[in-house]
Amino acid sequence: MKHIMFTAMVSLWATSAIAHSPLEATVPANEATVSKTPSEIVMDFKGAIRLTRVSMTQGNQPSVSLDLDAFSGFASDYAIPVPPIGMGNYLIEWRGLGADGHPLKGSFSFTVK
Amino acid sequence: MLDLWELASIATRFALYLGVLTAVGTFLTTLLFQITGCRHFTVGFALLGIAATVMGFSLSGAALTGDAGGMVDFEMLGLLWSTSVGTAVALRLAGLGLLIVGLLLGRVGRILSMIGGGLALWSFVTVGHIPDRGSLLLSIALLFHLVAISIWIGVLTPLRSLALDPSRLSDAVRVGHRFGKIAAVFVPLLILAGVYMGYELVGSLSSLVGTGYGQALIIKVLFVASLLTLAAANKLRFIPQMSRGDPAAAGHLSKSISIEWSVIVTVILTTAALTSILTLPS
Repeated sequence: MKHIMFTAMVSLWATSAIAHSPLEATVPANEATVSKTPSEIVMDFKGAIRLTRVSMTQGNQPSVSLDLDAFSGFASDYAIPVPPIGMGNYLIEWRGLGADGHPLKGSFSFTVK
Repeated sequence: MLDLWELASIATRFALYLGVLTAVGTFLTTLLFQITGCRHFTVGFALLGIAATVMGFSLSGAALTGDAGGMVDFEMLGLLWSTSVGTAVALRLAGLGLLIVGLLLGRVGRILSMIGGGLALWSFVTVGHIPDRGSLLLSIALLFHLVAISIWIGVLTPLRSLALDPSRLSDAVRVGHRFGKIAAVFVPLLILAGVYMGYELVGSLSSLVGTGYGQALIIKVLFVASLLTLAAANKLRFIPQMSRGDPAAAGHLSKSISIEWSVIVTVILTTAALTSILTLPS
């Protein structure tokens, strides 16, 4: 029993690591370096999703939640305003609800130089 | 790497499938094979299904916010409730509630339990990867799949109990024979339904071997194949030996059922991962 369960757990742990993101494209693109500070970030999903949380983190600074009040319902394209930012590395982390009822999450990063 | 909410989501989904399928399956089995004395067992698993349904809904709220606050965040839970997730939760709670009430009412409650069990199984057809395809045939295949595996799971514990009771050995042989006859029809159909659903969801060999979803499906199929081997041993070897009065056969059957249970638990665990954290191949 324990061997069977252990085998299944290890196998599932390994396969889950390559589950792919429903995010098709972003602006700025993932791992892109841009010279101009963006006033908004664009997230283009493969299907309709309701974003519930989006946060932005610069380096070791505390993360900032981005305002999603302007959005309601499910959509596949989001353009989310961001507060004025300076140069540095940025990590955007998002969570949302897929149209099939699955909670979804993902992240992407970019650099402003 | 899986986060805490994803692990909790798999664990809850596992408890949900185990609770609903065992409760509904045991009820259907007692009806089909006229077995008595399984009421507490069935109610216990139905309560597990209800607890897992509530916990799963709450955890889905947490998955939307990324923190424990989401479990009681009315905005998130309201959003979930407005989707097919809410419909499935409502159907599941109503179904399992009816199943329990019907069991407590005795013989007159059988219809209530039957409706309740049907609603609880139907709730899985209203949300998830398969209903999203909008194909009636796929939904029918899934419903048949659920009914068949619930009966399979449901017969195990009553059959094991009968086999271990020397005074009810003839009942064990009767149930084993009748289940074997039914299984000879529904197992090939179950395989057919599984292959059809798998093909529709995964779509290609490259997706089967090259995606997390496909690989988890392969793991599930391998475990199901071992389950079929055990079931064949029960039907072709241990049940006939019991009917011939072999004193060791009941012990072998009991051991085989215990192993079958552990494989089923693993298959349910794999299914929980498939339906909670793994995305379909595009």
